Amino acid sequence: MSGGVDSSVAAALLIEQGHEVVGATLKLWGGVSDSGCCSVSDVDDARRVAQVLGIDHHVFNYTEEFEKMVVAPFVEGHAAGNSPNPCIDCNRHIKFDLLFERADRLGFDAVATGHHAQVVSKDGHYFLARGADNTKDQSYVLGYLREPELARLILPIGHMNKSAVRAEAERLGLRTWNKPDSQDVCFIESVRGREAFLRERIPVTAAAIVDAASGEVLGETNAAELMTVGQRRGITPSKDGEKRYVTRVDLSKKVVTVGRLVDIMTTEVILDEQTLTFAREALIDGQTVLSQWSAHGKSNKGTLRFDGRWKVVLSEPARPVAAGQTIVFYNPDEPELVQGAAIVSR
Amino acid sequence: MTLYYFDHAASAPRRDEVTEAMAPYQHGVVGNPSGMHKAARDARRVIEDARDQVAAFVGAEPGQVVFTGGGTESCHIAIAGVANAFRRANGSAHVIASAIEHHAVLDCVTTLKRDYPMITSDELGVDSDGVVRLDELSSILKPDTAVVSVMNANNETGIIQPLSALAQTLRELNPKVVTHTDAVAAAPWLDLAESTREIDLVSICAHKIGGPVNSGALIIRRPLPFDALIPGGGQERGQRGGTVDVAAAVGLATATQLIVKERAEATKKVRNFQKQLSEALSQLPGCTLTAPTASKLPGTVHLTFEGIASDELLFLLDHAGICASAAASCSSGAAKPSHVLGAMGVSDLKAKGSLRLSMGIETTQDEVDYVIATVARIARQLTPA
Repeated sequence: MSGGVDSSVAAALLIEQGHEVVGATLKLWGGVSDSGCCSVSDVDDARRVAQVLGIDHHVFNYTEEFEKMVVAPFVEGHAAGNSPNPCIDCNRHIKFDLLFERADRLGFDAVATGHHAQVVSKDGHYFLARGADNTKDQSYVLGYLREPELARLILPIGHMNKSAVRAEAERLGLRTWNKPDSQDVCFIESVRGREAFLRERIPVTAAAIVDAASGEVLGETNAAELMTVGQRRGITPSKDGEKRYVTRVDLSKKVVTVGRLVDIMTTEVILDEQTLTFAREALIDGQTVLSQWSAHGKSNKGTLRFDGRWKVVLSEPARPVAAGQTIVFYNPDEPELVQGAAIVSR
Repeated sequence: MTLYYFDHAASAPRRDEVTEAMAPYQHGVVGNPSGMHKAARDARRVIEDARDQVAAFVGAEPGQVVFTGGGTESCHIAIAGVANAFRRANGSAHVIASAIEHHAVLDCVTTLKRDYPMITSDELGVDSDGVVRLDELSSILKPDTAVVSVMNANNETGIIQPLSALAQTLRELNPKVVTHTDAVAAAPWLDLAESTREIDLVSICAHKIGGPVNSGALIIRRPLPFDALIPGGGQERGQRGGTVDVAAAVGLATATQLIVKERAEATKKVRNFQKQLSEALSQLPGCTLTAPTASKLPGTVHLTFEGIASDELLFLLDHAGICASAAASCSSGAAKPSHVLGAMGVSDLKAKGSLRLSMGIETTQDEVDYVIATVARIARQLTPA
């Protein structure tokens, strides 16, 4: 229970379904935060909801693990010029590794969360499916879940629209009913932003911004680590007046290469083989896939290929996907179902 | 579900005698003790009776007792009161607090330094037995040291501190330094008139000894420069503004009387329970009794379980009806690594699995037996294979 409306209603629905429920809030980030979850007031909200629902509530401290498994890889990823997704790491390592392990030790049968996604059972197997509310679907951040976890996971609000969730919370008199959705990465203050957070933690490299075609130096950045492939912000257009996008960040040469949109469009996304995970059956070379690489982005048709490295060959050119980002594969025949996930490599 | 209450050190059960003594001042006309009529005089009379009792409890004169809103307030106004007066008189002030102090003390020092750059501080370390290192004093004392704060006994581990030796050392090194002790944890067990006799300022609170929350006292044993943190109204001889809560003062005083009356019997009984729990539980795999040879309050048993998370241990104990504590928790309510164990050099791995069981006079042999059996069962369940 994050202290938000979704997990509040998830708990209420579980109780209604007759489960014996205990509420747990994970204390994750120990530092300053102004946006996402796990501030004291969010824990207070979760505790109060549990009280109103008549269930016990516990706070589990995972700040150290969160620092080690989520924040540190985020910072190190950026230091190496990658763009990792901390929410995926958190869901994967904290919520669905550590919490499942703890739930087992404490004698629970299942773990439930308020994510907008669904667990469906098909041919005797469990699959993760998109949430019913398209605009809130969170299957992407849960893309790494596999059948053993899905079998013990309940997502009580996955079939509901957000407005229905809020209406239910209001009906039950839960004080979170009109609480704004959290949007941002919980440990990054919205006013100061990602850059300020990273600048305090990694040495940044000044680099020249160079146009790929003409070799012209368009300007410079004082933190190349914070530039992402495909990024346009902060780059002066070339003399021709056309917008430029980051095509490459080379920290060793201290050069950020930029190009026109047509130059950056690509049909290939290289995957890090070690991170390739399948919900159930392994996908094979030549298989058609639907790839999604941001939380609410569109899914892109393509083919999974292996030629010494795993890659996705897209049917339509797309803007480059930054290394470190996660791709989640959806089933082309049943586009609601998650098939697997992988992290984008260079 | 039967409740097995082993968290007296967090808050002791409210005694019926206390509730009854407070009752007349919880309804109807309760005069403002500063007023000029019968109701006020009656209230004032009750407060002064309470003051006499609290003074006797700590071995002080009634005029040295300042009623406060609890232990945290007592500690804060004590240290801030001395440090601020010293800073105003001398331009700067230095504060020493032991590394194992309660956050009532530690956060007061942090706040003072935040607000006044001319206030500095040093921490007095502890040895592996959790006892303050008096030998460090000579190197951290400064010419502008205003106050040294060392608790009478630690709230997490129950380890008793050598206050008399502290006072002796300071008399030799710098007799002008004011001493403060947080005696909140010690109050149910030690004779404070003896244990804090040589200490200038003593903080106590009611709810650890069977009284109400939001009630405490600061004892100021000798006249010293003292800036009231909240002067408004001039109550308590200008040292703590605000109308004195008659019921709260009566509650504190009544609780102190019960402690004095029952201390010997309670100590004898609970010492035996402490021995049983310590011996039985320290046999469990991965379990270590904290500072086994240190001198401790009878009511506290502090253990660490290597490889077990306190969160999980407390969760399952709670489900078995046992109220216990990991001793340190943050504002969200989550268990957190203890600064006390950190200062003692206890490894992180052990500290993460800490458990405090604390008892009082109502604790029974049956309860102790149940706790021993249940902790053993749960520790085995949680111990990694």
